[in-house]
Amino acid sequence: MSKYLDLSIRELHELLVSGKIKPKDLVLEAFDKLENSDLNAFITVCKDEALKRAEELENADKSSMLYGIPIAIKDNINTKGIRTTCASHMLENFVPFEDAFVIDKVNEAGMIIVGKTNMDEFAMGSTSQTSYFGAPKNPWDKTRIAGGSSGGSASVVAGLLAPIALGSDTGGSIRQPASYCGIVGMKPTYGRISRRGLIAFGSSLDQIGPMTKNVYDNALVLNSLVGYDEFDLTSSNREAEDFTRLIGEDIKGMKIAVPNYFISDIVDSEIKENVLSVCELLKENGATVDFIDIKHLEHAVTLYQIIAMGEASSNLARFDGVRFGYSADSNSVDELYAKTRAEGFGSEVKRRIMVGSYLLSGDNAKEYYTKALQVRNSMKESFDEAFKKYDLIIGPTTTTVAYHLGEGMDDVRKTFLDDVLVIPVNMAGLPGLNIPIGFNHEHMPIGLHIIGNRFEEAKMYKLGSFIEKELNLDLKVKEENHE
Amino acid sequence: MEKLSKEEVLHVARLARIAVSEDEIEKYQISLKQLLDDVEKIKDINDISEDVLVTPAFEGCKLRSDDEVDTTDFSKFKSNIPHSVGDFIEVPVMINE
Repeated sequence: MSKYLDLSIRELHELLVSGKIKPKDLVLEAFDKLENSDLNAFITVCKDEALKRAEELENADKSSMLYGIPIAIKDNINTKGIRTTCASHMLENFVPFEDAFVIDKVNEAGMIIVGKTNMDEFAMGSTSQTSYFGAPKNPWDKTRIAGGSSGGSASVVAGLLAPIALGSDTGGSIRQPASYCGIVGMKPTYGRISRRGLIAFGSSLDQIGPMTKNVYDNALVLNSLVGYDEFDLTSSNREAEDFTRLIGEDIKGMKIAVPNYFISDIVDSEIKENVLSVCELLKENGATVDFIDIKHLEHAVTLYQIIAMGEASSNLARFDGVRFGYSADSNSVDELYAKTRAEGFGSEVKRRIMVGSYLLSGDNAKEYYTKALQVRNSMKESFDEAFKKYDLIIGPTTTTVAYHLGEGMDDVRKTFLDDVLVIPVNMAGLPGLNIPIGFNHEHMPIGLHIIGNRFEEAKMYKLGSFIEKELNLDLKVKEENHE
Repeated sequence: MEKLSKEEVLHVARLARIAVSEDEIEKYQISLKQLLDDVEKIKDINDISEDVLVTPAFEGCKLRSDDEVDTTDFSKFKSNIPHSVGDFIEVPVMINE
């Protein structure tokens, strides 16, 4: 039973600042719930560390809006002294000696880390079923996937085990599970948040982002995570801004576009109906909604397969059994590499490394990888053209609602196709936000995908918050579902 | 169902430095073929840019100044090394391999 963890961050902040509750009360409630949860949302929990931190914070400055708030961290983000596994046998016992940039930010803002969340192995997947530690479950229906790769983070927030989780998004891995679990998930502009300490998958695609119950909370958390980092050469050095500043403003006059591909026959009819009904709502409130074409959206999966698998094969070359991670018994260096990687990685990761290695080898690099980068640029230019005329682009986040655990496991393409609507944002480096907009006939959540121009997250939160307020959905999972 | 040859699977596995068992070869003959068929579609895409987009870092990539700095303390790094002797990382014999 939730006492505090179903409240918004603003409500929790008021209780904490007034002294009606202490950070320890939130930590104890979080552990009471997560220790009795069967969602399999966490790989590692940090009860002793969290309680110690809560006590330390009791006499600390309470001015941060995030002071004393529990947060769960995806297990591909390095946490000093707390094992960071990437949901892989390869890193089952890996304990970082440094915090990621975002963990420094989490600590500066006064948040309390309660644990490391389950995910697809090395973030490769769309269901979190490739985790070495078993799949997390969807709190709305525990026979279904939570999505992926940040499935554990989505499950934690929807299951009210913590008010905030961090995810990472290489091809939809924050937004897609957020959609499946009925929560808010933001993939910020590429470069907005430093990737230092995020264990790399696809370096030109990866971004860390916040996952929360509502839009305002999400903007608050993003406020705390941004900032220039000299140790990430792609980090933006823009001045800090308040991402909540446009929330509550009138949407009259906003120009919205919907790409025709996003409402084509690839999308389930109930999801399409929900998205079109949001379009009507926006028009009734003074926004314009046009249907447009963006080039190469239909090629997003092919681009992702080439670019993400190519970058993954390069990034994961470091796992060789020598400096860290799993190391197989062997009699030669060649055998050490091959056996360590065969025994340490799961089948999805191995498949992607093999295809990626092939794509980058010899003349293939030009034939596949360079061509993919040209198509990618063309797609980005098409988005640029659209943003000359429109404030925001919207569409469904996913083509279906969350499906049953085990479904489609024998189809190696399915995991890519699940992300067809969210991949383009990573290709173009744009920010993307999922917000819940309804339920299907089985009462599974449906999400809306809001895409902004580069560094225009505040505008996305404005629209997202407006829709959230107008729809006023009951997004609280029944307690018996998640305990 | 179309599949890769056993030699093709072994070639790709060798590139990736991943050992594959006889049982796995059969699975990879089908699954790798499916993915490689997918990526072939890139060749049919027309109307593309002359330029490439390698990374969407729109403010450019910022390099640090080329100065000497303290590197990571080896004692911290050592705790995650699978096999070590003193302050050395232990690996299989490489000479005359």
